[in-house]
Amino acid sequence: MDDLKYGKRNKRGDWAPNDPVETAPLFAFPPKLMAILKWLPHYFFPWNVIFALSAVAYWAWVIPPVETMRTLAIGWALWLYAVNAVCVFLFYGAFELHLYVLKRQENRFKYNGRFPSDQKNNVFWFDRQNVDNMLRTFLSGVTIWTAIEVAMLWAYANGYAPWLTFAENPWTLALVALVVPIIHEFHFFCIHRLIHVPFLYKWVHSVHHNSVNPSPWSSLSMHPVEHFLYLGTAFYHLILPSNPVLMLYQLHYAGFGAIPGHVGFDKVEVGEDKLVDSHSYAHYLHHKYFEVNYGDALIPLDKWFGTWHDGSPEGEARMQERYRRRKEKLAARKARTEVRGAAE
Amino acid sequence: MTWVSACKIEDIEQEGAVRFDHGGRTYAIYRGPDDSVYCTAGLCTHEAIHLADGLVMDFEVECPKHSGAFDYRTGEALRLPACENLKTYPAEVIDGEVRVALS
Repeated sequence: MDDLKYGKRNKRGDWAPNDPVETAPLFAFPPKLMAILKWLPHYFFPWNVIFALSAVAYWAWVIPPVETMRTLAIGWALWLYAVNAVCVFLFYGAFELHLYVLKRQENRFKYNGRFPSDQKNNVFWFDRQNVDNMLRTFLSGVTIWTAIEVAMLWAYANGYAPWLTFAENPWTLALVALVVPIIHEFHFFCIHRLIHVPFLYKWVHSVHHNSVNPSPWSSLSMHPVEHFLYLGTAFYHLILPSNPVLMLYQLHYAGFGAIPGHVGFDKVEVGEDKLVDSHSYAHYLHHKYFEVNYGDALIPLDKWFGTWHDGSPEGEARMQERYRRRKEKLAARKARTEVRGAAE
Repeated sequence: MTWVSACKIEDIEQEGAVRFDHGGRTYAIYRGPDDSVYCTAGLCTHEAIHLADGLVMDFEVECPKHSGAFDYRTGEALRLPACENLKTYPAEVIDGEVRVALS
C-alpha cells in the first residue's frame, strides 16, 4: 500500500494526510442535508457499531441478573473487572501487536516516524512508555471504569436511574443511541479543557501528555482523577431517560473508543487493499501541540472556541499566532517579576 | 566573556548535538546541516532536560521529553510546551576545535 498517495512524509519520517481534517457536517449552518447523508455511514462504521455491539454483548453475556445487581457485592464487581480487563487486553493488544510489535504495516500512515519503543524516556515508569501505559491502564483505568459501571448498574437495578425498555420506547432509545457519541464529545471537550487549566494540567493531565508519540496503550494512560472525569460520561444516564445497554455503550465509547484516537496511524491496513480510517489526526495534533483540538471533529467546539487545528498551513498559522501571544505574555510577566525582584 | 575549547568538530555529527559541561553549568553544542556550530544553554526551558539528547533536524532541536522545539541558532522557542527562549553563546571552529564564548 502506497501511503504517499494519501499524504506526505517529511524529512524526519513523520507522515501527514494531504487533506485537512474536516468537522462533521452535523452543525453546519445553513444545514447541508446531502453532506450529512454522505457522512452518515462514517458515523456508524466501523467504530460506533463495534462499541454499540460490545454493549449488547455485555448485556447478553456478561452483566449479572438485575436481582444480583440490587446489592453491591465484591463478587460481581470482580467479575466485571476481570471481563473488562480481558477485553481491554485483547482489543488494545490487537492494535499493539499488529502495528507496534509485529509492525505489519511498518511506518505506512504513521504520524510520528519513530516508534515509542525506539527510545527510553525517564518520564515513564521503568523508562518505558508501554510498561507505564499498560500499568496505568489496568491499575487505575480499568478499575475506575469498573467502579463506574458497577455504580450505574446498581443505580439501574434499584430504580435510581430512568430505565426505559426497548419494547415500549424504541424511538426514544434510538434517539439516545444516536446522541451517545455527541454526549461523549461534549463531555470530553468540557473535561479536557478543564484539565488543561495549569494547576490541573500539572498534577493530573500531564500524565496523559507524557505520551507525545501516542500508541494504543496510551489511550487510557491517565491520572486516576482524569480516569474518573473521562469515564464519568456514563453518569449522564442518571438523568437521561435511557437503558443500561445504552449506558454501557456510553462507557464503551469512552473506554474502548479511546483507541482510535491514540493508535498513531491515520489508516489501519486490513488485508491487501482495505484501509480503515482511525480519524485520529486531530487528536494526534493535540498530543503534538498540546493546546489545540481539545475535542474531536464531531461537534466543531474547537472551531467555536478558536483552538481548531486541521493540519493545514492556515491551522498551523493560527496556532503559531496564539503561541506567539502566549510567549509574549509569559516574557512580560517574567520581566515584571525580575523588575520587582530588583526593586526589592 | 571567555573563549573555551569544548570539543573537536568531528565529535559532533552533522545535524547533531553534544553536551558540554563547564564551570558547574551545562551547555549544548550543535553542528548544523551546513557544518556551522552553535551553542545554547543545555537544558530545555520547560523541564530542565538535556537538549543534547534530543533530535536535531535542520536548525531545530527537539526536547526528548515533551518535544518542545527550539531554533538553536537564536534560541527561540518554536513549539509548546516550551515557551521561554534558550540562552545562546557565540561558537566558532578553529583548526577543527570547537570553541564557545561563555560569560
